[in-house]
Amino acid sequence: MRVFKEIGPLLAALVVLLVLFGLWVPVFLTPPNLIDLLQQVTVNAILAFGMTFTILIGGIDLSVGAVLALVGTTTVYVLTLGAPEASPLVWLGLACSAGLMVSAVFGLINGFCAAQTKMPVFIITLATMLIARGGAYCFNQARPIRVPAHQEAFLALGNGRLFGVIPVPVIVMLALFAAASVLLHRTRFGQHLYAIGGNREAARFTGIRLARCEIAVYVICSMLTGVAGMIHTSQLYSAEPASGIGFELNAIAAAVVGGTSFTGGVGTLYGTLIGAIIIGILDKGLNQAGVHFSLQYIVKGFVVLAAVYIDVRRRT
Amino acid sequence: MDLYYPDGPNEESTIMNARLDQFSVRSVPLLALKGITKRFGGVTALDHVDFDLRAGEIHALLGENGAGKSTLIKILAGIYRPDEGTVWIDGRPVTIGEVTGADRLGIRVIHQELSLAPNLSIAENLFLGRELTRWGWLDRRAMEEQAARWVAELGLDDIREVRTRVRDLTVARRQMVEIARALSQRARILILDEPTSSLAEAETEVLFTVLRRLRSQGVGIIYISHRLEEIIQLADRITVLRDGCSMGTQPVSSLDQKELIRWMVGREIVDRFHRPVWNPGEAALEVRNLRNPKIRDVSFVLRYGEILGLAGLVGAGRTELARALFGIDPLHGGEILVEGRPVRVSHPADALEAGIVLVPEERRLEGLVMIQSVAFNLALPWTAEWNPAFRPDLRKRDAIVRRALEAFHIKAADPAQCVGSLSGGNQQKTMVGRWMEHRPKVLILDEPTRGVDVGSREEMFRIVGSLVEEGMAVLLISSDLVEVMNVAHRIALYRDGRILRIVDANRITPEELMMELTGARVNESF
Repeated sequence: MRVFKEIGPLLAALVVLLVLFGLWVPVFLTPPNLIDLLQQVTVNAILAFGMTFTILIGGIDLSVGAVLALVGTTTVYVLTLGAPEASPLVWLGLACSAGLMVSAVFGLINGFCAAQTKMPVFIITLATMLIARGGAYCFNQARPIRVPAHQEAFLALGNGRLFGVIPVPVIVMLALFAAASVLLHRTRFGQHLYAIGGNREAARFTGIRLARCEIAVYVICSMLTGVAGMIHTSQLYSAEPASGIGFELNAIAAAVVGGTSFTGGVGTLYGTLIGAIIIGILDKGLNQAGVHFSLQYIVKGFVVLAAVYIDVRRRT
Repeated sequence: MDLYYPDGPNEESTIMNARLDQFSVRSVPLLALKGITKRFGGVTALDHVDFDLRAGEIHALLGENGAGKSTLIKILAGIYRPDEGTVWIDGRPVTIGEVTGADRLGIRVIHQELSLAPNLSIAENLFLGRELTRWGWLDRRAMEEQAARWVAELGLDDIREVRTRVRDLTVARRQMVEIARALSQRARILILDEPTSSLAEAETEVLFTVLRRLRSQGVGIIYISHRLEEIIQLADRITVLRDGCSMGTQPVSSLDQKELIRWMVGREIVDRFHRPVWNPGEAALEVRNLRNPKIRDVSFVLRYGEILGLAGLVGAGRTELARALFGIDPLHGGEILVEGRPVRVSHPADALEAGIVLVPEERRLEGLVMIQSVAFNLALPWTAEWNPAFRPDLRKRDAIVRRALEAFHIKAADPAQCVGSLSGGNQQKTMVGRWMEHRPKVLILDEPTRGVDVGSREEMFRIVGSLVEEGMAVLLISSDLVEVMNVAHRIALYRDGRILRIVDANRITPEELMMELTGARVNESF
């Protein structure tokens, strides 16, 4: 029941938005449109899950957008190495492992620097963002790489539908949501993250190993980004080195709208999921209502401000 | 203890004259509170409290934590508005608005947490928010000259170099800067909230000298402290608050410490602190030649069933020793043995594994996750027990929480309430109590009574004492010498990262202790 007390206002906001757009845009509340909406939300939602972990311990990860692009190019590059007559699944396995490895390495770098040096995470991840972006541009002379057409399984990751109805990426997203929720809300590790975010020194004095937790958080965030990168690439049918710019900001917005506090120690994954959906509703709804994209940004900006304002008021 | 007056007895006599004037003229009080009442929801924090402060008086405000002192200060600072009653200044009723309102009326609160900008110089801090300018540019020279004059007027020779950055000053000197700032803004009513909690004895005396001088200049001072000895030394009158009600005001001269405690707590504490029976067993913790940049070759043995007090001045490096023992700060040499077996402590988790617990000095910074509930904080060290793998057992967690609450008499309306809303004493009990689910072999308490009321202190030492009688080993770090002498069995005299010697607590007097801790210090470091 405490869960409802916490996310009740958020759920109410979600319903209000759905009703408003339903009245404004007649097709908005039709099932196919809503399924579409969920599909469009997936990438940002997965990034926002990871972002929630980092913000929760008082950190941030600005590198997710660039890592997303780098994972895309790495994965598709490995895919294209496989000849069409070779077993596609073997190459798919290799490519996905390569992609996840790359993201894990970036997570390790971020986490290690954050935990073992006194550099601020904002700057660390700003730097790794540049590095990852440069890495993405290294492939194919900075031009997009098409996903080979015979890699049907990879294309299904972003575009397939289970029983012809439920999009595969939505299933992936929900599975990751479940796993991350269990990790954050039901394990010792999760409990420790709340303690670290609430008071680092106090957490240290209760014997929590800060460095391990911190590194784990950045690796989790990066690897979730890796999965999001593959879905995104699959949805575009090609790896775009310039993709993902500004995605970190959208992910932060989703987490914050979902009630994650920037001072650390406060936030939930279900809140973040709802936050991501709210951002998605705004994007899609305003689009379908024919609002010019310039105005869409402005509206989104005000919504983030309002959400944070309400949250701050509620807590004090 | 006699105090040192830099200006000789003459000044004292002028102070006396000034005070006699005050009494004889019977002028209107500088500040008067009449029937002040403040409620929070159903709780009455202040119930028709009357209080008055004369110009040129140090008026101590006493009460256990939760008695309503903080609420009263917040009303004077304009943070809260009283529900009933009026505040009078110079015989005129006033409404204290937001914080600036209090400033304009000449009221300044010197908080426990100081409000200076550490990266700015003393002069810059004194002029913060009202910088002097010339043609729109900062006029540093004029500010520095003026600042130096103010500092000199106050007799604060310690902070005469006004270009020093505040962060390079000791806590005591920062406090002086804060007082100087208040006075430079024509504050006539100074409120000091636990000003000596982080000062060493010598620094306290400097502060008292300054406060006495301000009194002679007609400043009204409201002084809040848990240290009764200080109040008896310093204050002219005392008002006691108990459970939101004023217990009346009396001149200090009519009271001794015991009467004061009885008045404050409402019952007599026969023995101020209970020292457990000394029945030392095997060595629980042995330290051999411990070294790091702050610790210079420390060795001692702590036995089961005893309390070893680590007495020293603030800055002697006692906290650093505790931190090293607990694996927070690295060691450069030496050995730590628990039950005779050497242990490697490079992280608090190692120390906990070995059975060493440290309850740190800074509740807010190092102790508790203030934004979380009492239950969260109590159960945090034992997460592995109630949440082994993906299946948090909330019933088990609640049982752990309940045991801690009961064992340490922690007064919390609801375990789900935010730990930050508890009183200082209860927060402290939370910090100690949470480690008792499985008793540690060695408990290190670093300044466990800082900002804690007498009742809670007594209660905590009684509980810790009974744990010691059952065999626990305790290392007690405290700047309160009386406390160390009353509670500990043996006392290690600690200075400049070294143990001078270890003595039986009843073989040394506070005066001797003080002499050794300070006297030698003067000879060596200056």
